[in-house]
Amino acid sequence: MSLPLPGPGSDPAAEAAPWAGLLELARQESADPLLLRRLVELWARASGARAVALYLEQGGLLRREVALGDGFPSVLDREDLGDGAVPLPGGALVVDPPAAAANGAAAELTLLLGVVATNRRLRQQIKTERFQVNYRIVELEALYDVGLAVAGTLDRERLAEEVLLRAISLLDARRAALYLIDDGHYRLDRAFGGEAAAELAVGDPGLVRFLAGEGPAPPELLPEAKYVIGVPIQVESGPRGVLAVGDKETRRGLAPFPEGDRRILVLFANQAALALENVRLHQQAIETERLEREMELAAEIQRLILPTGAPPVPGYALHGWNRPARQVGGDYFDLLTLSDERLVLTVGDVSGKGVPAALMVSTLHSALRLLLDRFPPGPELVERLSAHVLDSSAPNKFITLLLAELDPPRGALRYVNAGHNPGLLLRAGGAVEMLNACGLPVGLIPGSRYQARSVELRPGDLLCLYSDGITECLSPDDEEFGSERLACLLAADRDLPLPELVERIDRATTLFAAGRPQADDQTLVLLRRNAA
Amino acid sequence: MTASSNVTVERRDGVAVIYTQGYINNQAGEEVARVAYTLIDEGYKTLLINLGGTTIVNSIGISILIVIIEKMIEIDGRLAFCSLTPTIEKTFHIMGLAQYAPIYSDETAALATLRG
Repeated sequence: MSLPLPGPGSDPAAEAAPWAGLLELARQESADPLLLRRLVELWARASGARAVALYLEQGGLLRREVALGDGFPSVLDREDLGDGAVPLPGGALVVDPPAAAANGAAAELTLLLGVVATNRRLRQQIKTERFQVNYRIVELEALYDVGLAVAGTLDRERLAEEVLLRAISLLDARRAALYLIDDGHYRLDRAFGGEAAAELAVGDPGLVRFLAGEGPAPPELLPEAKYVIGVPIQVESGPRGVLAVGDKETRRGLAPFPEGDRRILVLFANQAALALENVRLHQQAIETERLEREMELAAEIQRLILPTGAPPVPGYALHGWNRPARQVGGDYFDLLTLSDERLVLTVGDVSGKGVPAALMVSTLHSALRLLLDRFPPGPELVERLSAHVLDSSAPNKFITLLLAELDPPRGALRYVNAGHNPGLLLRAGGAVEMLNACGLPVGLIPGSRYQARSVELRPGDLLCLYSDGITECLSPDDEEFGSERLACLLAADRDLPLPELVERIDRATTLFAAGRPQADDQTLVLLRRNAA
Repeated sequence: MTASSNVTVERRDGVAVIYTQGYINNQAGEEVARVAYTLIDEGYKTLLINLGGTTIVNSIGISILIVIIEKMIEIDGRLAFCSLTPTIEKTFHIMGLAQYAPIYSDETAALATLRG
């Protein structure tokens, strides 16, 4: 070892006053290394050592702080100190030659070095503890921030990314994986630092024990990770996911996660669960709103298909009414005057309800209007319509239909009833006649054949075509409203203006249902020949 | 997403800019420190660490950055950070790094001040 000790050629000021400036250095926290170096230099000069190094305890080892001369290792064990080493509180001086005289000024400097070394060690300890306290604040802030995200972040991707990165950062992990529940499985949303299992079974006993902190991590969770902890992401209504972190970093390599880390991860996952659930509910609300908008659009389209008023028919009163059970329905009616002033009345009911039924209503409307341009409203038209519906609809879908043609001046009504509820014809004298079915519903089987039937509407007669949503309206006791009640109502109020008569029927069925929600679409078409 | 990190340097008119990528943990932190000490040995007394490519820092990474700051104070040099994510910037404020090393929104703003 060779020591560049102060001597001839050194700083003359320092030579003249070796203590000068030491007090000032002692006042400065950041000047500890310089102060120690100056003291070691003075110690070396006083003791006559050729080379000397100061070692201070750090993490159970002695680390070289100051070296005057070459060849001193950067780290030593206590056991490595020879007899010539000069012990200090929390450190030692290693001297060449060993046991250089530590008397007189050197002995006093040894004491001083001990004080400064202790001071430095305490300052380092305070710094470390301050660091730890600050990092606890960072942890709390992370929990707080994720809590804030409950109200502030509705971007699922960003939130999931933030949750994963913060979990890694908080626990000094090298790897992590975030799973979110989907269709009864935990599916990997994202991973960091390596591969992770694509999917985990929610009820897997090994996984359940692991998430409870009572068992090892499933090996496929973070393959090749040495240490793994994981916690459930859970809300009141059930599990939402899993957050797992692996391989805790320390300055000396990887280490197991202490129990405190698990507690932090649980707290963090609880906050993350609320934030993620908030985002999920928000997305669900957006999707519901979108569907509602689409349904409203479909309902609007259907409203445009159904007549908004009745065409004038000299000598008759005519009124049509429809109310779907849902936003869109499967009932259909049409009131159409042909070029020769004959009136065509149609009432139909598509099997099923909701959007699929509404789509078939649209098909029925288009086909019927096109066919009416080419065929008279009779059996051939209905047969062609049936073939079209059969070709263009799903299996087991069909339409009941009553198609009637009226020659207004003569009162001659010719109709085809394809499996629909019998129309009610209330004669002026009080008798009730039924316009019964004369064929199967359209679209049910290939090659259906139909027959037309005729009746005469005389002055004062009232015709009622309806869908089963009226007669099959149920009371709380599951009793049907029935066609007899309908006929009685019609008979009792047969002279009312038709819109009022429809209101009466609506009120009667509503009272009959006694709060039970409307289960089926309801349609009424009323045609009354004026009394002579 | 991977944990890999790399560090590059650009020397710009007396200011050395250190660019980081990925996770600043023990490994990447040591790499940043190694690069910083090399630059100090080259005579650079003004360092800018651009964290634009970093979205995550752990406590070990922070402790290494603190050691670099202490080293810069020791040599009477200057260290600054730029292009931090809001989360990392908040962490640096809580951990006290911002007291000794100013934080700039981007590299242009940082260089304008550090050269001024």
